[in-house]
Amino acid sequence: MTSTLRSLLLSFILIAFISSCSNTPKVIENLKGDSYQFVNTDSSVVNFPEAFKGDIVAVTFIYTHCPNTCPLITANLTNIQDQLEDTTGIHFVEITFDPKRDTPAVLKNYKRLYKLNDQFSMLSGDTANTQAVLKRLHIKATKTYPDSADTTSSNYFFTHTNRLYLMDRQGRIRYQFTASVVPPKTVISEINKLR
Amino acid sequence: MKKIYPVLFILLFFGGCNSKSGKGNNGHDIVLGKIELSNAWARPGAKGQNSAAYLTITNGTATNDTLTGASSNISQKAQVHETFKTDSGETGMRPAGNLIINAGDKLQITPDNYHIMLMGLNKELAVGDSLDLTLEFRHAGHQTVRIPVKIQN
Repeated sequence: MTSTLRSLLLSFILIAFISSCSNTPKVIENLKGDSYQFVNTDSSVVNFPEAFKGDIVAVTFIYTHCPNTCPLITANLTNIQDQLEDTTGIHFVEITFDPKRDTPAVLKNYKRLYKLNDQFSMLSGDTANTQAVLKRLHIKATKTYPDSADTTSSNYFFTHTNRLYLMDRQGRIRYQFTASVVPPKTVISEINKLR
Repeated sequence: MKKIYPVLFILLFFGGCNSKSGKGNNGHDIVLGKIELSNAWARPGAKGQNSAAYLTITNGTATNDTLTGASSNISQKAQVHETFKTDSGETGMRPAGNLIINAGDKLQITPDNYHIMLMGLNKELAVGDSLDLTLEFRHAGHQTVRIPVKIQN
């Protein structure tokens, strides 16, 4: 075998090896070292993401006055949970971008109405922590008012990012999906890659 | 032979007025002669917050009709909204305005396109509850349907 042929063969093997390694998803955002303080529905303090270190987390963003898209997001998380063969080591986290109205008590009621179990954490925080995590994770939530002449009203909605992130055991965001419509099987397949 | 024509005319006239099944433009069964509301359901919601209702409206009449408004017995206000996406990909909702349902056609109000937003619930809506939803049509007038509260899965 000539040295040229040997070099070509080695290059081929190297490319094949690198290609097989690229099945590992890239890191979208590394939250290891970040800390955002939230309150759960039982009033316990949750430091996100450390509180979930060691587990795989499906993270979404909602507000409870939302009548359509946010309940779809919640229902989709429930579908994922129901269709997972093994839910051990998985958490479902919904962070409100409307902490002013979504107090822990309001989120607790939402959790009850949507029959969510304790694998779900509904997190509310102060404005600073909420805005910081939204910015860090590229989530936009812009207030809109049904009566555009009255922008001081407490009656408002949001135009918002519709996203589901999968975070691995080390606090790294590895996958992102359109939260309300992604087929549960797609998310489950990626969860299994992170196990 | 001439005596048969009035009889045929009467038969055709009354036959045309009866409610019976036919096929709409999209191939689904349609009850002829009336506006039909079916497959209706609403989401849970806390007192003071909002819910959304979904249903199929079938126009089995010979006239195009327009959905002009909505109300319910459990909310301060009800309004037909549409879901939209911004250029940068965010999701929002806005009043849909009047929706036309052509004669013999159906309008499906589903979570991915429209919803009837029930704003300011007078009481909590939980799974197993039901409510009265009234839709207002330009020609057919008010039509009310009793609908269950469910969680979409």
